[in-house]
Amino acid sequence: MTKGDKILLAALTCLTLLSAALLYGRFFLPKESTRARQAVVSVRGEVVRRIDLPSSGKSSFQVQGRVGPSMVEVDGARVSMREAPCAGGICVKQGWIEHPGQSIACVPGEILVRIEGAALLDAVTR
Amino acid sequence: MNRRSVFSLCALVLLLIAGLLSPYIFRSDIEYQSDQFLMDTLVSIKVYGEDQDLLNAAVKGAYAEMRRIAELADAFAKPETAAAQGSDVFRVSALAGKGAVRVSNDVMAMLISSKAYADWSEGAFDVTVGPLMKLWDFGGSNPHLPTPDRIKAAVKLVGSKDLVLNEQHKTAMLAREGMRIDLGAVAKGYATERALQVLKSHGIKKALIDAGGNIRVLGRNRQELPWRIGIKDPRKSDAIIAVLQLEDASAVTSADYYRGFESGGKRYHHILDPRTGYPAGQSMSATVVTRDAGVADILSTVFFVLTPDKALELAEKLEGVDLVLVTADRHIRHTASLEGKIAVQPDTGYHYDQGR
Repeated sequence: MTKGDKILLAALTCLTLLSAALLYGRFFLPKESTRARQAVVSVRGEVVRRIDLPSSGKSSFQVQGRVGPSMVEVDGARVSMREAPCAGGICVKQGWIEHPGQSIACVPGEILVRIEGAALLDAVTR
Repeated sequence: MNRRSVFSLCALVLLLIAGLLSPYIFRSDIEYQSDQFLMDTLVSIKVYGEDQDLLNAAVKGAYAEMRRIAELADAFAKPETAAAQGSDVFRVSALAGKGAVRVSNDVMAMLISSKAYADWSEGAFDVTVGPLMKLWDFGGSNPHLPTPDRIKAAVKLVGSKDLVLNEQHKTAMLAREGMRIDLGAVAKGYATERALQVLKSHGIKKALIDAGGNIRVLGRNRQELPWRIGIKDPRKSDAIIAVLQLEDASAVTSADYYRGFESGGKRYHHILDPRTGYPAGQSMSATVVTRDAGVADILSTVFFVLTPDKALELAEKLEGVDLVLVTADRHIRHTASLEGKIAVQPDTGYHYDQGR
């Protein structure tokens, strides 16, 4: 092996490692993973509140929707709709959400609570 | 090693580095997400591109298209209102047994394919199910279990052979008084597909539309991989049973958990078997994967209503159509062509034997 070959071999090894690292970063680590999770509450498409998750302890607050006030509850890393003025109450029955990509939608009130962050799935069919 | 080969190796190495780095250097895609409430559900649109103005315009156009179709297909508009006058479906039902009504190209297209699928499914799917939907009142203020007599009477008013379409004059007519059209299993999917075509016409290459769980994707996701779409567990609010990998395709689910009520300790959901007048009972959910979201919407209802054996048999015969069922006896079953494209989750609590 000549000196040139050795240098080449070393260079190729470095390159392989670099490529592996780059590929790993590109395909297996979602870019958003460094971003913290947030619960985003919007009414008729307008964001009214953002809460960093996990939050410390329990708290709740009122959101004025199209058909009246709803109560959103935050408990550590989880969020739920505690009270809603609509008849169906689908949003209340849904319970807690905590994973990025999950959302609670109150259709009559046009209120949306969505967890933002690095999601494992792009969407869920239901 | 001679000079030339060292040189060519170096060139190769440089090319490799350039290739690997190019996505980082040239990647300038912006993500734009928007949520709007329409068609009685939440519609989220996510698009990717380089020009924010273009993304805004495309998404705005897509929502406008969906809203336009929603208005044409609104079966539950209040009589004598502008909404009723603007709804082709309302006007056709209002003149049932009396006369033909001129309808838009979109409603004509929906009615033509609905009639074809009613034939093909031998009545397991039927857009003239309106009298039954009105009787049960799932979407209304007073959903209730009707008496057997009233159900029997309403079933008699169902039948797509009495939906008379004249393509030349663009008219639709229901032959008998009391008949009603309900595009509940058709319009959302059709509108979703139209909205996607609007995005495409603006030059969008990467998009995801989530219309209340009806999913339509274009291209690949942000990581340049197929979109990862979960299928909801029909009995656990926070769980999925499988993950699908989709490119330029839609996934639509019909299920028993979405709308319904309890009466006498029994739950009644909103997907009726037009032949019996009662909720279909052999599946908890049916997910159809195919390119066109409109077709997927109709087929998910067809396959939900049919028995699992019959549904899988028919789905296997359709080119470019895949089906995933969660049956009432807690089995996960799917068409053979999905093998390798579906990742059924371990420990779902359902039986899974490679789809069979």
